[in-house]
Amino acid sequence: MVDHLRRIQIQEITLKGVDIVELNEVGGGQLVLSEKYGNTGLSVVTPKSEEEIEQILRTANEEGKKISVMGRGTKRGYGGVKQEYDLVLSLANYKGIIEHIVGDMTVTVRPGTTIAGLQEYLKKYGQMVSIDPSWPEEATIGGVIAANESGPKRLKYGAARDLVIGLRVVYADGSVIRTGGKVVKNVAGYDMNKLFIGSMGTLGVISEITMKLRPLPKFESLVLLSIDEDRLEELKAFTVKLQDSMIEPVSLELVNPSLSKKLLDREEYTLLIAFEDVEKAVRYQEEWVAANKPDAAILSNLSSDESREFWKGFSVIQPNALKENEPADHVLATVKISSKNMQVFDILEEVRRLKQGNKAELDAHGGLGHGLSFIILKGPEESVTSTIASLRVFVRTKQGFTTIKHLPFELRKKIDTWHDNPSYFFLFEGIKRKADPKNTLNYKRFIGGI
Amino acid sequence: MFFTKKKKIPRDPAIEHLAGIVGEKSILYKKEDLLSYDCDGFTIHKAVPKAVVFPKDTAEVAAVVKYCSAHKMPFLARGAGTGLSGGAIPLNGEVIISLVKMKNLLSVDFENRQAVVQPGFVNLKLTNSIADKGYYYAPDPSSQYVCTIGGNVAENAGGAHCLKYGVTTNHILGLEVVLPDGEIIEISENGLPDAPGYDLLGLLTGSEGTLGIVTKITVRILKNPEGKQTVLAYFDDVEDGSQAVSDIISAGIVPAALEMMDKTAIEGVEAGTYPVGHPDDIEALLLIEVDGIIAGIAEQIEEIMNVCRRWNVREVKVAESEEERGRWWANRKTGFGAMGAISPDYLVQDGVIPRSKLPEVLGNIRKISEESELRIANIFHAGDGNLHPLILFDSRKPGETEKALKAGSDCLKACADAGGSITGEHGVGIEKIEEMRFIFTEGELEAQTNVRDVFNPDGLLNSGKLFPTPSRCMDVKKVM
Ligand SMILES: Cc1cc2nc3c(=O)[nH]c(=O)nc-3n(C[C@@H](O)[C@H](O)[C@H](O)COP(=O)(O)OP(=O)(O)OC[C@H]3O[C@@H](n4cnc5c(N)ncnc54)[C@H](O)[C@@H]3O)c2cc1C
Ligand SMILES: Cc1cc2nc3c(=O)[nH]c(=O)nc-3n(C[C@H](O)[C@H](O)[C@H](O)COP(=O)(O)OP(=O)(O)OC[C@H]3O[C@@H](n4cnc5c(N)ncnc54)[C@H](O)[C@@H]3O)c2cc1C
Repeated sequence: MVDHLRRIQIQEITLKGVDIVELNEVGGGQLVLSEKYGNTGLSVVTPKSEEEIEQILRTANEEGKKISVMGRGTKRGYGGVKQEYDLVLSLANYKGIIEHIVGDMTVTVRPGTTIAGLQEYLKKYGQMVSIDPSWPEEATIGGVIAANESGPKRLKYGAARDLVIGLRVVYADGSVIRTGGKVVKNVAGYDMNKLFIGSMGTLGVISEITMKLRPLPKFESLVLLSIDEDRLEELKAFTVKLQDSMIEPVSLELVNPSLSKKLLDREEYTLLIAFEDVEKAVRYQEEWVAANKPDAAILSNLSSDESREFWKGFSVIQPNALKENEPADHVLATVKISSKNMQVFDILEEVRRLKQGNKAELDAHGGLGHGLSFIILKGPEESVTSTIASLRVFVRTKQGFTTIKHLPFELRKKIDTWHDNPSYFFLFEGIKRKADPKNTLNYKRFIGGI
Repeated sequence: MFFTKKKKIPRDPAIEHLAGIVGEKSILYKKEDLLSYDCDGFTIHKAVPKAVVFPKDTAEVAAVVKYCSAHKMPFLARGAGTGLSGGAIPLNGEVIISLVKMKNLLSVDFENRQAVVQPGFVNLKLTNSIADKGYYYAPDPSSQYVCTIGGNVAENAGGAHCLKYGVTTNHILGLEVVLPDGEIIEISENGLPDAPGYDLLGLLTGSEGTLGIVTKITVRILKNPEGKQTVLAYFDDVEDGSQAVSDIISAGIVPAALEMMDKTAIEGVEAGTYPVGHPDDIEALLLIEVDGIIAGIAEQIEEIMNVCRRWNVREVKVAESEEERGRWWANRKTGFGAMGAISPDYLVQDGVIPRSKLPEVLGNIRKISEESELRIANIFHAGDGNLHPLILFDSRKPGETEKALKAGSDCLKACADAGGSITGEHGVGIEKIEEMRFIFTEGELEAQTNVRDVFNPDGLLNSGKLFPTPSRCMDVKKVM
């Protein structure tokens, strides 16, 4: 794959004291920026301090250079219609925990810290960051927050916007601001944290993140309910009943048959019902599910260890721009759909319809408690793009939002990966203009070419 | 205006026009009618509006805003007027757009757990409207029986049960907003997650009515927890109570609520409308609630009681009935008003600190009380470190109002110095404008006013709130 690599040019900007590295050297040889996903650069810088970030941005901004901001680059397939920027700024080496106040249950970290690294550290204190995004070993906390990632446990945990209590952000001109604070409740001034969460690195570089923590669950389990493809209605009726009961699942994720086959070797619709609580409460809820499940559904209970193992496997089902193992003539794509909770059923049924005679594989799952569905497509380019188009049309009829989270660069030039601009798009433009007037950061990476 | 003539005098053309939009019955413009709109729950500062209009729908709001905007006439939104930081005070003689006539529950979708309300809908009414089906709306400010959900969105209101369930911003799924030029926008119309683009829902929530006027709100509703238990614990030492708070949290318990009151506060609530017979010689009490699956509650309650015992609790008990639980909560939730029973006036403050700094900051507040010679009661959300020092004073005594304001500001300084914030739920309004400098640099304030200017370029909507003007530079704190 070496021929895919973009060779580095020696920089025009002189950056004293800043590492300028070969692309494939970043993070111990893990970061390989293939051209396939775009968002590359003529050179990569991996600052190790906030001052270095400031210096890089200030210089680039003054000289009119364009910067692609990156964590480790798992999401280089997410948005962007520029093959190459002047510079890739990777936060992968700016990592580590700055402050953890155990009693306050807050932690402050540098953006390059991986999710897995952070969780591992917090575990010793019986705490966790309540977020379960994909690829935890590689995804950096900065990237997860900038891309507003969440996982199947969002139902109970909330999203990145619900955990971040403070940020430090370096603006394109090199100035630094703090947003929020270090306390769990705070309404002083605008809630500026929200502006940067999910902004895809277009407004500033996040250089420090403070989050509130939760205690590790005392006990957890996962109940699987699988049902024949033609009996989805029964699972739906069960879900309505569960949602109207006082049962408190942490996750209520519906998985389509092909994905269920890969994860569990059961080619049926499978509902993942996760519980986290004290053991008695978990057991009671497992019993409730057993007593109320559709007769036709097969039930299995995974223990705490088994369920953790399962979620690990689940966290790597989506494509990742750092991994390229698909055959050359195949395209991988991820579509994210926002809908009302129960419309997840409609979306998965539409996926079933679209699978008929489709040359592409369609794996899908959706959260019945939060309304986000993900469809992973794999197959010949033509089938993938036409399926995406059909999905889009369908989602429009349901007034939902579609975002294509992963797609090779060549296709991103043809298909807009973002949802249509809202009527208030001018506000986005205004916000971008104030924060980054020279379009230095992640130019054209985000919705509407922001 | 010393005389009022019976004869009809020609009205100001602006009034004429606004009356045309909302109707004669939905406008106030006579001085005597305007007086009750000269302040909100922050009564120390007063200013009279130009007029108050009561639109009945979004189109009327938009028409009023368009007219004001075209004529460069300042305006602001008002809900129930319970705001405690002066956000709804017409500093610049604004036209007040009162949302109280837009007070309908538009729809409830139980399957998808959402409800759509108009901004003037009263917070508690939402829970009351869905309670029969076993659902509720989580954010529960103590003022919930009167304050509006529009006002809650503007202030990002919190409440006692926000420790476990989050504040208003965690429950807002969609907003319809009239922008300061009169354009109507819908953000996440159907309440869907992750609307594309920057998170304007998050930005608008808590923007204190300075970015737009909220005219429709989609909120998340929750199913009632299966069970609830409430514990009351009396301590002879504030420090012990604070340590118990820390240990409950470190034990891995996430209580639904964890409230604390000190001796002066207890004196107040016992003299108020809902006394429950707390002993008069204790230094602090904790009110702790655990909810969730019934099978799991007992062991958590046991653990909480053990923690309290470890910290020398004098008495700790579990509410034995819903009625008893209700009485304990009524006593707590009417705590601010109860201060009226022991003092002619009181000022509510609203600082936040890292939980671990509780004993230290309470000590500093005690010093502020001694120095100012004013009594300060503390009622607060201990679980999330949100303090409400209540400064008791008598405005009839010359200079005492100023002394109270100064003491309030000093309390916020103590919170900021402990690494905290100057407001956890009541907002900045006009009250805490100067205190913004305790926690933000000039550059950080500018980053925020830059955002405001994108929405509100002419500064006609609720101006003079939230942000100090750069010219009044005090000691500017540097980024550390
Ligand atoms: C196709 C795909 C789909 C995924 N789907 C999901 C999912 O559905 N749910 C889930 O939970 N996880 C998902 N993930 C995993 C997810 O956790 C990402 O891997 C993670 O968010 C990216 O981390 P990163 O550091 O690799 O980000 P990068 O790819 O390096 O960056 C992501 C974005 O954030 C910006 N950015 C990164 N760091 C900063 C910073 N410090 N300051 C400002 N901007 C910054 C970048 O410019 C870019 O716009 C998915 C990953 C991929 C590749
Ligand atoms: C006794 C008492 C107890 C309280 N307890 C709590 C508590 O526990 N937690 C808490 O958070 N607060 C509490 N408060 C403060 C207050 O009730 C809240 O801030 C509440 O959210 C204000 O709602 P309101 O309808 O009264 O708004 P108002 O006071 O009318 O307005 C507040 C601000 O919101 C703006 N605004 C109002 N409606 C809109 C709209 N539709 N669109 C845009 N902007 C709008 C106004 O311009 C103003 O800036 C308490 C107040 C009192 C008097």
